[in-house]
Amino acid sequence: MHPRENARPRDEKLWQILGLIGRLRSRLNWLAFQHAFFYATAALMVAGALIYLSAFVLAPIKFIAVTVTLSTLATFAFIAALRQGWLMRSNARCAAILADERAGLKGRLATIVTVAEHRKKGPMWSYLVEDTLSRQAEFAPARIQKRRVSRAIYAFIASLIVAGLAWPLSRIRHVSPIPASQGQDDLTLDLNDLHLRPAEPGDDNAMTVQADPETMRRLEDKLAREGVEPGQGASNSLGKLMNQARNMAGNLQDKLTGQRQSHQRLNLKLADAADPLAGRVNQSPLDAQNQKRRDAAGQFQRDQTNDGNGPLPRGTLHNNGGDEQEQAAGRSDLANQQQGANDPNATTKPLDDRGDQQNGEQGSSGGASHGIGVDPDSLFGSATQSKLGNEGFEIAIEARPMEHGAKGAGHAYEPPKVRTPLAAVQEPDEPVVRTEVPPDDRTTIKRVFER
Amino acid sequence: MSELAAVDAPTVADFARTFRRIQAEIHKVIIGHGQAVEEMLSALFAGGHVLIEGVPGTGKTTLVKTLGLAMNLSFNRIQFTVDLMPADITGTRVILTAEDGRREFTFQPGPVFCHILLGDEINRATPKTQSALLEAMAELQVTVAGVTHRLAPPYFVMATLNPIEMEGTYPLPEAQLDRFLFKVRLNYPDETELTRIITSTTGPEEAGVEAAFHADEAPARVEALKKLVRDVIAAPEMEHYAARIVRATQPQNSRYVADEARSVHDEMVNRYVMFGSSPRGAQALILGAKVRALLDGRANIAREDIDRVAIPALAHRIMLNYAAHSDGIDATHIVERVLKSVRAART
Repeated sequence: MHPRENARPRDEKLWQILGLIGRLRSRLNWLAFQHAFFYATAALMVAGALIYLSAFVLAPIKFIAVTVTLSTLATFAFIAALRQGWLMRSNARCAAILADERAGLKGRLATIVTVAEHRKKGPMWSYLVEDTLSRQAEFAPARIQKRRVSRAIYAFIASLIVAGLAWPLSRIRHVSPIPASQGQDDLTLDLNDLHLRPAEPGDDNAMTVQADPETMRRLEDKLAREGVEPGQGASNSLGKLMNQARNMAGNLQDKLTGQRQSHQRLNLKLADAADPLAGRVNQSPLDAQNQKRRDAAGQFQRDQTNDGNGPLPRGTLHNNGGDEQEQAAGRSDLANQQQGANDPNATTKPLDDRGDQQNGEQGSSGGASHGIGVDPDSLFGSATQSKLGNEGFEIAIEARPMEHGAKGAGHAYEPPKVRTPLAAVQEPDEPVVRTEVPPDDRTTIKRVFER
Repeated sequence: MSELAAVDAPTVADFARTFRRIQAEIHKVIIGHGQAVEEMLSALFAGGHVLIEGVPGTGKTTLVKTLGLAMNLSFNRIQFTVDLMPADITGTRVILTAEDGRREFTFQPGPVFCHILLGDEINRATPKTQSALLEAMAELQVTVAGVTHRLAPPYFVMATLNPIEMEGTYPLPEAQLDRFLFKVRLNYPDETELTRIITSTTGPEEAGVEAAFHADEAPARVEALKKLVRDVIAAPEMEHYAARIVRATQPQNSRYVADEARSVHDEMVNRYVMFGSSPRGAQALILGAKVRALLDGRANIAREDIDRVAIPALAHRIMLNYAAHSDGIDATHIVERVLKSVRAART
């Protein structure tokens, strides 16, 4: 018999054994892949679900801390799962060793795999192959590794459950203790009555003020007048960093929750009072007066872009649009003032002066604060060109009552003061109208300031 | 030197069957000592020699005699004493007068020329005499007066040591100890075995031993079986495993035998071992494991086989220091500890 013919059956038996080992190896590698995939996915899903939940229930700073922590843990878990799966991968030799151990073959398969690749076969090779093949039922892949699905699927299923529960849990947690008030669209607030202060770093009860540049500039002017520098709360680098982190966390929370409620945000909108007045030529004198007074005080209007979920405290904020009774009272009060309001110049002049005051402050050439501690040479600016009171604020506010006081304040949140309707005998406080200083008096005034 | 008779190549089954039969014949005379008998036969078929250590009266000499009878091989016994000379072992040239009156030197073989040699209480002879066995054990030859004489295979030396009568003895040099494949301990028999010994040795009939081989083919059969042992496949992993064990017995290597991730860290070796096992220890591990594999019907060795023969193969090759003696640590403890460490490093 030709040696090749003699060797062929032996080789076929060898390939039969190696084929079984190869199938076992494939099964082991598939389990290793599942292990890595399931655990890695489970880690990411659980972390994502927890971050999603925390976006609803945690304050921004805590949220960002939890997010960073969970993200780090998830990253480590992800890498560990991949690494473990990679280490669990099996080659033919590992599969043979495993089969030897589980089938009690005492190294037969490992020897075959190793010697078949590297070694010159000895005279007992054929005996080893045949002896091993006679035990093929003992190391069938299905017997050595019965599982087709990794146990890691339990972790994957658990993570799916967690992720599935995240949405209803977030809905439960998101129910506000006070339902959003409906129909409260316009709030009339006096800018001067607003108590504004910069938020302390980490103060989760602060409001984020968003407005157009002009409105923001006026707010900064107001803060300046009150002796508070914008961003004073974040005077150091840590505070700025905290603010940035909080802003980032708030934005992330907004994206995750799909709602703008992580902060109580005050959206200010600067409204030009002239156009509404122009459009209200046919308005009743009462409405016109009301509008003027509203402009004079500054109107805070709810931002229609907000979802309105934020509850508004009844009784603390004046509701022009919703509270008919209060509005009617305002009409009756204003009706008593109608006589004084008939003259458009009489009513608009103070308003124009107010607007001019803002302009004067902007140019540092006059206004209410003009001349305070400044160079006597720049004491005198030009006379007010525009009339006061022709523009006011329309501020859309979304606010909720605070459950606890501001950080470190020791008292409950103080809502903005509400402009109540004036009595018939009352007149709104108006700033002094700045007029041109006569040239003869300038020398005297300048001398007083120089002194 | 007679040529070996031609015999059929034995199979794995033949080996196990023959081994068990010889074992059974020995146990007709030797009561107990099952592990010692198995280790002794393993050493014989692995082509090595055995050092038997046991207190007097435990059947050392009887065991060797019975083995010779069971295998139907020539058997000699040398009682080592302090005045024993090397020539008494290897043989010497004597002047003989021929029939024609001529006188000439003729080599007179010593007791070393046999298949199975029992060196009884070998530690009572001087090192010079003990060393006379070195060449015979290692190279199956003796050189007398510049003439080398081959020993007929199979050649199997079994030396006994008396561990309690140390006065006037010469401990075997390490070089000679290293030439013994296994060191077998014969302990006191338990009560049941002792009862059977009394019954079988004080009665009117003596137990007869039936030879496993015919006298004319016994050497060839034994050699064929020894060759079969050599044919057993040892995978590279098994050889690495044996090498790792041996290196772990060496104090300078015991800390990092494998790579750093799988290092063998054993302070016990560093503290108590003066010299670890030689490379012959690794050879003994593999050869003994091959015999164990054949007995299990396998053509490959496994780690269990190596572990099983580790103590008889390595214990006598490890030289302990005074700290070990003072702390009551013997080489068996060291080998067990090393096996545990290497197994842990493997997993």
